[in-house]
Amino acid sequence: MGQPVLQAKDLYFSYDGKGNALDGVSLDIFAGERIAVLGPNGAGKSTFFLCLNGVLTPERGEILLDGRATGRRDRKRLCERAGIVFQNADDQIIASTVAAEVSFGPMNLRLPKDEVVRRVDHALAYMDLSPFRARPPHELSGGEKKRVTIADILAMESEIILFDEPAASLDPAGEERLETVLARLSAEGRTLVISTHDMDFAFRWATRAVVFAGGRVIADGAPETVFRDQETMARAHLRPPAMLTVADLLRTRGLLPASGVCPRTAAELAVLLDGSQS
Amino acid sequence: MRHTHSHGVRSIDHLAYTSGMSGWNPAFKTVLALGTLVICLAADRATVSAAVILALAALQKWKGGLALHDYGGLLRVPLAFLLLGSAAVACDLSSVPAGDWSLSLHWFYLCASADSVRFALALVLKSLGAVSALYLLALTTSACEFVGVLRRAHLPGLLTELMYLIYRFVFVLLDTHGRMREAAGARLGWRDFRTSCRSFGGTAAGLLLVALRKSRTYYDAMAARGYDGGLCFLEEDKPWRRAQAAGMAAFWAALIALRIIAT
Repeated sequence: MGQPVLQAKDLYFSYDGKGNALDGVSLDIFAGERIAVLGPNGAGKSTFFLCLNGVLTPERGEILLDGRATGRRDRKRLCERAGIVFQNADDQIIASTVAAEVSFGPMNLRLPKDEVVRRVDHALAYMDLSPFRARPPHELSGGEKKRVTIADILAMESEIILFDEPAASLDPAGEERLETVLARLSAEGRTLVISTHDMDFAFRWATRAVVFAGGRVIADGAPETVFRDQETMARAHLRPPAMLTVADLLRTRGLLPASGVCPRTAAELAVLLDGSQS
Repeated sequence: MRHTHSHGVRSIDHLAYTSGMSGWNPAFKTVLALGTLVICLAADRATVSAAVILALAALQKWKGGLALHDYGGLLRVPLAFLLLGSAAVACDLSSVPAGDWSLSLHWFYLCASADSVRFALALVLKSLGAVSALYLLALTTSACEFVGVLRRAHLPGLLTELMYLIYRFVFVLLDTHGRMREAAGARLGWRDFRTSCRSFGGTAAGLLLVALRKSRTYYDAMAARGYDGGLCFLEEDKPWRRAQAAGMAAFWAALIALRIIAT
């Protein structure tokens, strides 16, 4: 697969010296991957994201960008290359207008004003937010705020985007919209890392699943392989995605071929069912 | 129980964006507000103060599109403070009846004279004029723009940033407190005085913890976008208009003329 764009090597981190929020985490992230980061609350997912982005400095271990080790001085470069969309939009939004909010990242990158304007316009148009540019972001709906926070990172033109539980406070329409945006970002070649509790989403969306528990990575691999590993699932208190359970049931009843890949969406299941009946 | 989510402070924030004057150059508005403030204080005449109050109310109504009723409502809180403070200025305590009016309060007399009352009223008008001048800025300018103006005025960055972050944080805390109040109310937390006292203590303590946690999250979120101690936002270009500058000069000239006539 070549050189990973971002690597974490044996990261250790603790808040206030109590316990290890990260307890020796290593992970290689390759360009264009869609990684679902799973695990219970307090497993270290958010801390890991903050370390990858350079906000938190791990106590031990290192982060490599394009194979080169990063130090304290490279914090800005990490911020630029790997952006985080925070779980709670209200924690991230700080400016008084949507346009000012989206400009915060590019302004911090000390870009010329023309470039900031271009990036803000592009990010707002990308997220369908152009009509909202002069509105105070705190007055927008939950879904709109989430779009603003994604536009925040798009304006920084980060090639790796880390989403911390992006669907946590979205309604079904908001979730659908989010998935459309994720598909578009992925098609454009961006590397997406998403922490989520939604196993069904992780199963249909991710190319790779990483499971955290107790500050460690306890599984890393193809989603189907990881989700079939009962020991991992029990350790991380995860339940298998519904589509996997349904496909297994259909297989035991002879309605689906006993081997082959598991369908990830209802449409894929329908195709398989049609195929096995004909 | 009244719904406490639409806090007064939040609506001021909202007014700044909906104001018809939000398109005016923020530096111009700052100059207009501060200049008027200085004239109002330096003139020290009730007529000038009244003229400032009326002219700025008219400006908020006709140019800002703010209903006079809403404007009056926003002025009510500072006005209450001013009236209470001025009452203390107007009245005096004495062991014997003194001045034009005196009220016996068994141990002492509360006294006031026509002069002291006149002085207190002039003080109320002057202060209200000053508040109106500052409202001209506060009700029409977003906090981001104001920070930009202060930065260009070479105010220390630390000061403007602290100001801005505190301003933002007030909303976070108000919002959190509003929600805690509702949650306490949903469990009959305000049913009587004793319970209310306990609930108030609980929400206040909770607010402290939430504030500490949120401040950390906020900082992380800012640092994640490359914040390194310089709060910068893109500002839309809003040019000075000649007509506005001329209007400002005419307004100030009229106030100064009024001051000269009023002597």
